[in-house]
Amino acid sequence: MHLTKEEERIYDGEFGWANQICMKILVRLGELFNATKLIPISSAHVSGVSYKTLGDAPIDFLEAIANAGVKTSVKATLNPHGIDKEYLCKKLSSDICKKQWQILEYFNKMGFKNSLTCTPYYLEKLGRGAHLAWAESSAVVYANSVIGAWTNREGGPSALAAAIIGKTPDYGVHKTENRQPKVLVNVETSLRNETEFGALGIFLGKILEDKIPVIQGLQGASQDHLKQLGASLASTGMVNMFYRNNRKVKVNELEKISVEKKDIRRAMEELTTTATQKPDLIFIGCPHCSLREIRQIADCIGTRKVKAETELWICTSHFTKEKAWKYTEKIEQSGAHIITDTCAVVTWTDKLGIKTIMTNSAKTAHYAPTLNKAETTLTPLKDCLETAFKG
Amino acid sequence: MQPITLKGRRIVEGQCKAEALVSKKPISFLGGVDPADGKIIEKGHELCGECVKDKVLCFPHGHGSTVGSYVLYSLVKKNLAPKAIINQTADPVVVVGAIIANIPMIDQIDIKQIETGDLVEVNVCKGIVKISKRRES
Repeated sequence: MHLTKEEERIYDGEFGWANQICMKILVRLGELFNATKLIPISSAHVSGVSYKTLGDAPIDFLEAIANAGVKTSVKATLNPHGIDKEYLCKKLSSDICKKQWQILEYFNKMGFKNSLTCTPYYLEKLGRGAHLAWAESSAVVYANSVIGAWTNREGGPSALAAAIIGKTPDYGVHKTENRQPKVLVNVETSLRNETEFGALGIFLGKILEDKIPVIQGLQGASQDHLKQLGASLASTGMVNMFYRNNRKVKVNELEKISVEKKDIRRAMEELTTTATQKPDLIFIGCPHCSLREIRQIADCIGTRKVKAETELWICTSHFTKEKAWKYTEKIEQSGAHIITDTCAVVTWTDKLGIKTIMTNSAKTAHYAPTLNKAETTLTPLKDCLETAFKG
Repeated sequence: MQPITLKGRRIVEGQCKAEALVSKKPISFLGGVDPADGKIIEKGHELCGECVKDKVLCFPHGHGSTVGSYVLYSLVKKNLAPKAIINQTADPVVVVGAIIANIPMIDQIDIKQIETGDLVEVNVCKGIVKISKRRES
């Protein structure tokens, strides 16, 4: 790998231990994937912020690197952590909350913003073709496929190193030749709601391996639908982007896959492990809700009240909540909880006694049995809300 | 019997001589190794119950969450880390872990030639691994 004079000095330790470690991570990973150089990035987004997923082991490293005085050199954002400031922090033990605040403090010391969301793309407009180093897989697919930015799927530590150095090795989808589609997917059924888009992602992720698809038949898909598709595609697969039908590619040269109604139905069925109509938690907001989704939820709720002993969580970023205050006030009056900075997957639902989760998110339904030790029901937003409100 | 010498790719510089602990299966450091005592805890894993401390840990590659990298750092801080890591094909999780923990690491080594208990000399600067068999075969 070719390094500039300044990069070499960082690599040799002239700027201290922590900068050296970060540079070594980027260079070694670059070598592993045959990168030839480091390229500047516009932003970095770090995953592995929740104490639930991190556990105790990383705290030593985060403490050491934060105390070494390194600072982020580009805009650097954080994935959701394990608690919020208003609701869950009062329900979970003070030990857990203390550890979580400690982890956040180390990230802040390095200059990371408390975005605490898996949807950093709502915080700021990103340019097409911007190079990024993002670690949240759903955001990676969204950035590459919907926004037209360029990012590999980073791990937590490599995104951290990229945030400090402000660069990433030039490999994977940072190179035009690796962004070429290999498979033509023909969706031969019309997808009726966000959950079916999610189910499509789950189905495709399992069969695509690392082959980038062109997906035909997504007419009328909203950005929120594509968000669900990308999030679940990344949950079961390695592919980091997809194209839609309007792309000028020689489709004759591509391997072909068709998706039928029964494939979507089967994917939905596999993600439903309980038939209960009284779930311990109804969860909307994986990935975090957009302003549009919050408005849609408020409209759907109207003046109804959540029935007694039902937990309904709407998760979003505090940034989106502030912008959507008109709607969130209305939603909260219904008895639903607007929860920011975290979500059902990265908080301790098991410690809250939650054993069944109903959700409209295929990604959550995919992860909840292992990460939350919960049974799941996957069903569209409208049905989730009906379950919460019917008396 | 003459030691066997294998050539590999340098990942993290350093050298050591220690006993091998060999796994035919990949290792996930997050959830697979207990950072509190350095023991492999993955259910059904062939090395379940074995401690990685002071061993030359040989396995095909890592898998699982990238948080696993931090586990290697934590093991070093508690003096529970392996002396070196030998992989068949290095993956990002273990590479990053070995860098932040400063554990000598080499890959592109045919780990089938190493058995648990062999005495292994790792010299990453030279890119070589010397294996002295525990028993004549």
